[in-house]
Amino acid sequence: MHLLLIEDDIELAEALLAGFREHCYSVVHAADGASGLQLASDPRPEAEFQVVILDRMLPQLDGLSVVRRLRAARISTPVIFLTTMSGIDDRVNGLEAGGDDYLVKPFAFAELLARVRVLARRPLPDQVVTVLRVGDVELDLLQRTVTRAGRPIELLPQEFRLLEYLMRNANRVVTRTMLLDKVWDIHFDPQTSVVESHISRLRAKLNAESPMDPIQTLRGAGYKFLAPS
Amino acid sequence: MRRLRIVHSESFRLAALFAVLFLGLAGVLMGLTYWIVEGTQRAELLRVIDADIGTIDNGFRQEGIDEAVEVVRQRLGPAETADAVTGEYIYLADATGKRAGNLDSFAAEVGVVWMRRSRHEHSDGNAARTLGLAKEPDEYERGTVLGRGVFIAKDVYLFVGRDTATIVATRTRLIDAFGWVTGVTILLAAIGGIVFSVQFLRRIDAITRTCNAIVAGRFNDRIALRGNDDEMDRLANAINMMLDRIGALMENLQQVSSDIAHDLRTPLTHLRQRLEEARDKSSTVEDYSVSVARAIEDTDELLSIFRALLRISQIDTGTRLAAFRTLSLSDVLNELGAMYVPVAEDAGKTLRVRVENGACIDGDKELLTQLFSNLIENALGHTPPGTQVVVSLKLDPAAVVASVADSGPGIPENERAKVLRRFYRLSVSRSSRGYGLGLALVSSIANLHDASLVLSDNAPGLRATVSFPKR
Repeated sequence: MHLLLIEDDIELAEALLAGFREHCYSVVHAADGASGLQLASDPRPEAEFQVVILDRMLPQLDGLSVVRRLRAARISTPVIFLTTMSGIDDRVNGLEAGGDDYLVKPFAFAELLARVRVLARRPLPDQVVTVLRVGDVELDLLQRTVTRAGRPIELLPQEFRLLEYLMRNANRVVTRTMLLDKVWDIHFDPQTSVVESHISRLRAKLNAESPMDPIQTLRGAGYKFLAPS
Repeated sequence: MRRLRIVHSESFRLAALFAVLFLGLAGVLMGLTYWIVEGTQRAELLRVIDADIGTIDNGFRQEGIDEAVEVVRQRLGPAETADAVTGEYIYLADATGKRAGNLDSFAAEVGVVWMRRSRHEHSDGNAARTLGLAKEPDEYERGTVLGRGVFIAKDVYLFVGRDTATIVATRTRLIDAFGWVTGVTILLAAIGGIVFSVQFLRRIDAITRTCNAIVAGRFNDRIALRGNDDEMDRLANAINMMLDRIGALMENLQQVSSDIAHDLRTPLTHLRQRLEEARDKSSTVEDYSVSVARAIEDTDELLSIFRALLRISQIDTGTRLAAFRTLSLSDVLNELGAMYVPVAEDAGKTLRVRVENGACIDGDKELLTQLFSNLIENALGHTPPGTQVVVSLKLDPAAVVASVADSGPGIPENERAKVLRRFYRLSVSRSSRGYGLGLALVSSIANLHDASLVLSDNAPGLRATVSFPKR
């Protein structure tokens, strides 16, 4: 996870950086609002942050203005405020300016970490669909459960992602390369049958008690998740 | 032309500058010496004068004016005549006029007196010696006299003076010496400047010649070093290193181009066959779409070879360092483990994952995924059924040690270094899939992460260990 910390208190910033690093979070630190805003506004995809941790009181450009400008530039990276101001008005101002969460100093690092995680996994606005349904297969994205004809099917996380992608592209040919890219985030060509092995396991679990196989194999081309017409 | 170049060279200019500075310093020193010596000599002169005055005064006090006259005569000796050349001048007078001395007439001036000597030819042919009053001179000349006038009694006036010839002589000697110093300095500076410039230009010319030779295509030429680690050597060394780096990158590029040309023929032929099949044998839309999908897969394979090659070059040039993030290597390995367990099972092998959690390193997640994926694929791909593969991660105090070990046939020790090369394949694995790029890529990625890659004997099998330094 890639985070941006905008905090002018160097001591606190270093403590937080060390804490995040310990949890394998990659953190970029900015010591003032202007440079923080610049980092957060970087349009390159590799420079995108999952969460911005933002101090309210900053030199050059205060936290509220940073958030307002980010939102004005249509950058929707979740923002969590850190502040010593605990009044209701302050919180309301912070959230209304476009902040997503609010943490009053002093705080426990564990709480900040937990809140950052929540913000990072908050679904994006376009993911309003929470249940995918194709034929008699039903996949619940929030509960991470799958049923076929009402019977629950236990899937491993990678199998779940594979099925999700197949169902989202029901009735379309999906190549190995597409699956590797979207399901495993792998952008090279494995020399072994990764996709085939996982498909065969998914198939076995899906079809354990159903005669109809929804996953069609197109030899040399890929797969198609069939939706009953 | 050559002479002009020397004069225009930086080292010559430097030598000239130093010569000027040195001359300035010498001038200051000479001036100071002159000032001190002149002061001392003048004080000495006055001391001698005062001693003479004391002696004459003594005679006068004990026995009167006649004794004083006698003393003066004794002091002057034969010099009392006007013609005598002497450094000493005395004039003694009382109320009646001049009583003794080698000066003709004199104004009764009291205190330290500066005079200019002059000779008058009298009409009778005798030369008369006179001294005219003068101001303290800006510079001494022959005939400048320093003296003191006193009244040793009422109406009795005494003047004793000395020629300043000694001071003049000292000054002359100092000026002469300064002249010599100036001359020698300029000479040495010129010689030094020329010698240094010639040496400097010679070395610059050597560098220029080498650069020109490289421009002309002799890429392996390097600038010769003297081995004394001076500035020129360091410059030459830096240039040589730059040339080496450029050479390595060029070689890399050439290698990649020839590799691509050589290795893409097979998959391109496959693709062509498929397209021909599609043209000749497909009849339904379904047939066509399958053929097209297959062709796409072939193309993807081609692209992935390209990508692997380009990635190796890209990694080797270090451009991917910008994408480094803090990440959990444990997560990467666990994810890969889950990905390959079914593959291993299908191939009749076992894959076990023994990963300690919390191994944070700085790196490029995509590349690290590829690194371990390649190692696992090698362990699964080049081994017989029944092989056990273990992916492990240990946190050492100094390093994060990840390894992929198998119980397969392993790699003979003398082949272990070679398999890291691009497109190198063991003869036994020629039949299996792959292009011989896997371990080359692994090696490049490990290098980029400052990690060490060691291939060792797993007795039996191969163990690939990648150790990442702790931050």
